Amino acid sequence: MELEEMKMLWQQMSQKLEQQRLVTDQIIIEMTQQKYSNRFNKLYFFESLGTVVCVAIAILILVNFRKLDTWYLVTCGAFVTAFLLVMPLLTLRSLQRIKRLSVSQFSYKEMLVRFEKSKHRVLLLQRGSLILSALLAVLILPVFQKIFKNEDLFQQDIELSLWISVGVMLLFLFFFARWGYRCYQSVTRSAEGILKELEE
Amino acid sequence: MRPETEFIQTIKDNEGIIYKITRVYTNDRASQEDLYQEIVYQLWKSFETFEGRSKRSTWIYRVALNTAIAYLNREKRRGPSVALDLEFDDQFTEEDEDLEAKLSLLYDHIQRLNVIEKGLILLHLEGRSYEEIAAITGFSKSNVGTRLGRIRQKLKTNIKK
Repeated sequence: MELEEMKMLWQQMSQKLEQQRLVTDQIIIEMTQQKYSNRFNKLYFFESLGTVVCVAIAILILVNFRKLDTWYLVTCGAFVTAFLLVMPLLTLRSLQRIKRLSVSQFSYKEMLVRFEKSKHRVLLLQRGSLILSALLAVLILPVFQKIFKNEDLFQQDIELSLWISVGVMLLFLFFFARWGYRCYQSVTRSAEGILKELEE
Repeated sequence: MRPETEFIQTIKDNEGIIYKITRVYTNDRASQEDLYQEIVYQLWKSFETFEGRSKRSTWIYRVALNTAIAYLNREKRRGPSVALDLEFDDQFTEEDEDLEAKLSLLYDHIQRLNVIEKGLILLHLEGRSYEEIAAITGFSKSNVGTRLGRIRQKLKTNIKK
């Protein structure tokens, strides 16, 4: 199929479409209403909900922070709290930046550049948070053990079952992180390719 | 004319354009309907600020194509949605089956292009001039020509395969 043939076919389809009615007045009105647009905000809602949960846990740790009575527990507590407060807010900020892009303001090229750059930033952020999440999953254990049971996990004879659980969790996180990293690499490469092509 | 009435008429006059853009940028019926609705919503949002600063068709193509990019970026992370039951089925009657088969092939070739090329070829197939394509996409007029030449070559190679 040559480009000219494609063009003819396209014209044929356009003529057919002109004879048909796809939408009624009522459907158009429904599409313009806010109740419809809300469903596109679902993603932001769930991300916000996740942030609320993270902030609630961080507050819980901060309220009980004095219970962490050794330097290593204080270090673990500080890392966990900082992670829970900073990472979700950074993710929300990057999502908000994408959401604010006005579709009528920019040309197709500008829009692509902005999206690819935003995507790149989000991917970098997620890649970082993936590695830190593994650390969080381990460090939150002694913090919670101290806060809720008043026990220092580092000073205890740790049961075999706990070692196994931590081992399985770390193994799972390793494979998950490796899979995630490969996905990110491929998306990042594609984003960089588009940006390079746009610069030509 | 009231803005709502004028907007409804604008959409009705250009529903074919929106349909074609949604078909190029999506792979299934549900996503196509979702994108169609999102484009109409975005057009409504910018309808009052448009005020005829550019040609109406330029504005529609620009908003629709940009919404498609935004949609592609958002789609994978979005939750389930409620459909408005658009009548996209049965666009072509039985005697048009041959046309529909050819169109499927055509869309298949376009789907294989990257996001930049998709936008350009779509506008070219729509019969837009290089000048208007440049105004919609932000590429220079000569760059549009160069890129379309490359797309032509790419399509030829893809079709031969």
